[in-house]
Amino acid sequence: MKSLITSVSLAAMMAVGSGTAALAQDDPIRIGAALYGLRAEFMQLWAAGAESHPAVQDGTVELTIFDGNYDALVQQNQFETMITEGYDAIIFVPIDVEAGATAVQMAYDAGIPVIGSNTRINTDYVPQVVEEGMYQYVGSNDVLAGRMEAEAVMADFCEAGGRVVIIEGPIGQSAQIDRRAGNEQALAECPNVELLEMQTANWSRAEALTLMENWLTSYQGDIDGVIGQNDEMALGAIEAITQAGLDVGDYSIAGIDGITDALVAVQDGTMVSILQDANAQAQGAVDLALRHVLGEGYEPMSPIWQEGDAWYNYGDEMPWNGGTDAEYNVPWTPVTQDIVGELLDARQ
Amino acid sequence: MDHALLTAYARRFGIFIAFLVLCMAASLWNDNFFSEGNLINVLRQSSINGILAIGMTFVILTKGIDLSVGSLVALAGVVSASFATISTQMMITDVFGLNIGAGPHWVGFALGLGLLAGLLAGAINGVLVAYFSVPAFVVTLGMLSAARGATQVFTDGMPVPALSPEYRWIGTGELFGLPSPVIILAAVFLVGWVALTRTRYGRYVYAVGGNEKSAKTSGINTRGIILSVYIISGVLAALGGMLLAARTGSALVQAGQAYELDAIAAVVIGGTSLAGGVGTLFGTLVGALIIGVVNNILQLEGVQAYYQLIIKGGIIVFAVLLDPSRRQGG
Repeated sequence: MKSLITSVSLAAMMAVGSGTAALAQDDPIRIGAALYGLRAEFMQLWAAGAESHPAVQDGTVELTIFDGNYDALVQQNQFETMITEGYDAIIFVPIDVEAGATAVQMAYDAGIPVIGSNTRINTDYVPQVVEEGMYQYVGSNDVLAGRMEAEAVMADFCEAGGRVVIIEGPIGQSAQIDRRAGNEQALAECPNVELLEMQTANWSRAEALTLMENWLTSYQGDIDGVIGQNDEMALGAIEAITQAGLDVGDYSIAGIDGITDALVAVQDGTMVSILQDANAQAQGAVDLALRHVLGEGYEPMSPIWQEGDAWYNYGDEMPWNGGTDAEYNVPWTPVTQDIVGELLDARQ
Repeated sequence: MDHALLTAYARRFGIFIAFLVLCMAASLWNDNFFSEGNLINVLRQSSINGILAIGMTFVILTKGIDLSVGSLVALAGVVSASFATISTQMMITDVFGLNIGAGPHWVGFALGLGLLAGLLAGAINGVLVAYFSVPAFVVTLGMLSAARGATQVFTDGMPVPALSPEYRWIGTGELFGLPSPVIILAAVFLVGWVALTRTRYGRYVYAVGGNEKSAKTSGINTRGIILSVYIISGVLAALGGMLLAARTGSALVQAGQAYELDAIAAVVIGGTSLAGGVGTLFGTLVGALIIGVVNNILQLEGVQAYYQLIIKGGIIVFAVLLDPSRRQGG
């Protein structure tokens, strides 16, 4: 145990030596990340992103990831554990917008800052926490993503008119509500486009496959575009089209998130995907947590805050501003042929 | 016709008549229902659940239950699929110094490993139920959790993507003008039907479920029979899992969640008694098709998915409520 502490403080001193920040600490900073669940690729990418944050890599931060098993109560119990254990900061990805306020209030009462990531909480319930800067949020605006993907699907026939279907997430979940709002904004600007069907497939590829098979029966040849509110469902639609012996090239298809299979499909030219940057949501949250622990002078260590030419340098669009904003919006990146190879390499 | 005979006919064919009525109603509701393409869709969409439900029938006939099949779908899917990827094949080739390279010739090996995963998990279930007398509900509930966890450990939670065309054939191919999953379902049904109705083994399965004690007294290896039905269920769940992976193109950790419920529903709708000893594979097959048709017609008509769940729930309860065999004090 002693040698562990020694090596950790050595790592912290080396971090100081290399001039990254004034991080001379004897004990590592303990940050807990309560994620709603680890069963899907996106949260795995999020976890990998957090673990590759420079401060975690050099030992300044000891990061513990909690799997919430898709259950709000499990997440609340994990908050209690982190409070009892005296964590320095908590990163929180709740299962749903309406499900996390109690947990955040508990952490606030214990004096622990909470950084929301990916999914916000309904801050109406905890106005004081937000006012005092003890809850900050870094995530991506789902309305915008819904709008971007729908625009991409309708790009070729917005004026001329066409027929589209929307495959939705679980009805009532915040991402579904926001992405639908964005889908509808885009549809409103293309009055000649007809919305044939809008149904849920619960984010599931298998369910979307069945749904699309049945729609292809109902609307033989009439569907021009498929708006999938996530990549999994867009991929399910592609499978249904292919397996029905139809040409995917005849359909305009888009999804959101940039999961690996979708990147491959983008490379093949069969769909459009809007990348939700899990890495940036995770690393941004770690930096905001560190600012709370280390104070005002802290300079963020993740490359996402830099201004630069790489697609993941968001400095221009998402400035650090001293790390005190209530909300940071990680920009969406349409996956283009220019960056898809680089993204796929990073997933290996 | 006397009452007993009528009841016997109703038990045997009632569910099939209900299915035909349902299909006619569906075709009146939607013109596309009876199109060839749509009927093939219904068969294809029912095939995975049908395969799981056939395994479940064996288990329920012995008065057992298998709650783990949904998790085994995911486990077998990722185990099998990961051996169908080039990188794993290269790794194995390197580690064992084999001179076979990567490629489509691995597909049989990958499928075999998937089935083996299902067989092992099923055997664990069966041994605990048959030889350690742990209630099946508890054993398979434990396996539901453990197999899902094992799937996550095995893949680090990441999907196994981009399966080869050869592997995908089992889910997307065609044979005699029918989708391969439908052919596989038919084959599984045929083998299962022969085993249950034309062999001594089948009679033993019914005997164990009907009255385990007297089956034992008459010299049947009841423990062996019980072990075997969980193995059958595990292997068929694995087969379903590989079909699902092949159909969707990736093996996903979250695949197959709650599939055990649809499988149990198909068995129950098909007239198999949860008290064991009574039921047919034909009923189960029709039960799976009823669920498939209901989902299909409601989606064709654009009914929101959550109503489908309510309707499916209603059908399950009504099927048992209307089952004539239930009224005979059974």
